[in-house]
Amino acid sequence: MKRLFWFALFLAAILWAIGSYPGLSNEGEFDSIILNFKDDVDVAQIEQQVASLSGFSPQLNSSFSDINHVYVLEGDRQLIKQLKQSDLKQYTQAIEPNYIYQALEVPNDPDYAKQWNLKAINMEQAWSRSKGEGVTVAVIDTGVSPVKDLADTAFVPGYDFVNDKEDAADDNGHGTHVAGTVAQSTNNNYGVAGVAYKAKLMPLKVLSAFGGGTVSDIADAIRFAADQGADVINMSLGGGGRSQVMEEAIAYAHDKGVVIVAAAGNENRNSASFPARYDHVIAVSALDSDGARAPYSNFGAGVNISAPGGSTQSGNGQGILQETVDPRTGDGVFRALQGTSMASPHVAGVAALIRASGVSDPDRVAQILYESAHGIEHDELNQFGAGYLDAEAAVKLAQRGQWPFHLFFRWLWQTAFFKLRLWFDASAVPVIPKLLMIGVAYSLAVLVGSYLPNPWPGLFHGGLILGSAGLFLLRGLYIFDLPQWPLRLLGSSIPEWGTAAQANPVLNPITASVLAPLLLLAFLLSHPSLKWYAIGSALGVGACLTVSAVLDPECLWIGSGTWARVYLLVNAALSVLLAYLSLQSEANQA
Amino acid sequence: MTNPSSDQEETMTLEGVVERSPLGMGTWSIVCPEQTVEIFQAQPEDILQEGLRVRVTGKTRPDVMTLAMIGPVFEVDHFQILE
Repeated sequence: MKRLFWFALFLAAILWAIGSYPGLSNEGEFDSIILNFKDDVDVAQIEQQVASLSGFSPQLNSSFSDINHVYVLEGDRQLIKQLKQSDLKQYTQAIEPNYIYQALEVPNDPDYAKQWNLKAINMEQAWSRSKGEGVTVAVIDTGVSPVKDLADTAFVPGYDFVNDKEDAADDNGHGTHVAGTVAQSTNNNYGVAGVAYKAKLMPLKVLSAFGGGTVSDIADAIRFAADQGADVINMSLGGGGRSQVMEEAIAYAHDKGVVIVAAAGNENRNSASFPARYDHVIAVSALDSDGARAPYSNFGAGVNISAPGGSTQSGNGQGILQETVDPRTGDGVFRALQGTSMASPHVAGVAALIRASGVSDPDRVAQILYESAHGIEHDELNQFGAGYLDAEAAVKLAQRGQWPFHLFFRWLWQTAFFKLRLWFDASAVPVIPKLLMIGVAYSLAVLVGSYLPNPWPGLFHGGLILGSAGLFLLRGLYIFDLPQWPLRLLGSSIPEWGTAAQANPVLNPITASVLAPLLLLAFLLSHPSLKWYAIGSALGVGACLTVSAVLDPECLWIGSGTWARVYLLVNAALSVLLAYLSLQSEANQA
Repeated sequence: MTNPSSDQEETMTLEGVVERSPLGMGTWSIVCPEQTVEIFQAQPEDILQEGLRVRVTGKTRPDVMTLAMIGPVFEVDHFQILE
């Protein structure tokens, strides 16, 4: 009886956890309600219904709404509930909130329409709140040349560390392009737009015309930027090995309050390059125009956030368009480029907007970027870090100025950084489902507890955990420069083994079945101690399949519909039955 | 410009195909079976031909970072055109 009570309590906890699992429940603001009458309802009936609501003075939404029978009336969530329960319901297609959308700030730059990248990060909504006023962004690159579409952009003195002179003009074209993404002159009826166009640029040349430069020059430039009042540093460069000189320069700038952003690298490999991978540096991976990871972009260990970097494989329209210099003539030219070099300045620009909104601590700026990023589900390879950069959400969060503790801890949890050997990406660990699987496994064990020796054997615990959830925290663990799949495999339960190495969150019906427990029991049941592992695994697999059937039943070849749920539940029941029968026969023999 | 010595790096030989990489403003690379390297300062000019098969001797430059970020930077000392 007592056992039944605990099981019921546990089931209630599961239902509560499922019910409170974050879904699409984000609610917008509204102060009016839309009534959309069905097309086949005749006008007389509509007028009669509208008259019955005279107390709420419903109005046609616009002169065009007459044809579609769309009315708007003042009201709140309570009134929506009442209307949905009234007779009116049968005449309407929809009774729903009339959400308020914010005014957009569309710049008049003629080629702005080609900047898909700025729309992708919700720039128009962000500009209505901040344009980066009063903030200085240092662009550590090939220099910046004053092309026409930077004429209205403010500059502060920079330096050319390659040729040791004050004029940091660009002889390559890369730095001017990157500077354009940060702060191209915008709303000037010419060319294209930039992210934080009211921010000031500090051009620092460290890369030669060939596009390479030494670690020592780059470290000098970082210290120069910190000493000369830069608020944000962008480094669209990378490579080489770990350097103490560089690491110290970054720590120096961070201590002085500078936000440091760097490109993750273009090797299409699992690990961000240096300097992006250093502590205190925001590492940016690149997205193409469809929101997929760009084919060249690094991913995995060290990546903090993703932003548009474009991909010109399928044409220049998919690249990032800014004005830069043609290195052969020195003239201004509009070029569509691709690279994590292009992604990084988007983040640096949004960091400038956050600084301009009154947040100065670099760690808080990073927190806001990560918290506000549009999170990507099933990012098993950490291609996107905290998610897609979202300028609007970042500026909104910065201006809200509230720092609830749970957000801080969530951020810490999601981006905990164990220096330069290990990397932990908590977003790859489905914590709630995994805890549920372990909980269900132990509940099942309690139910059959009378057949178990007391205390439960250690191998039985091992079977319960490996069968249900695996060592799931390992799923988010990366070791720099090593493949992540062995850790992912160890971090997966038996049913997930069929797809774990490929980082596919979908279950493979071969491993997600009664087959593995059956084989384990067949081989191990006669062994005096390993049999407990096999029995524990069978219960664990039963728990894993049950929770998967409820929360996320998607299987290869079967899909995610009713058949997948039925398949998983039947196999779960068979696994538990196997464990039960094995225990019973063990008890009879004893 | 400071130019730290890279003498401590060992000389090595690579075999691969010279390719123009389209990242950023573009750069020259040697695509080898096991890795892709970026040619340091686009030198020597004689090997900068798309599709050229080469055997190069030189050293990697861990003290150099680039805007292309496509792999280790390789300073070519000698080269031989294959086929």
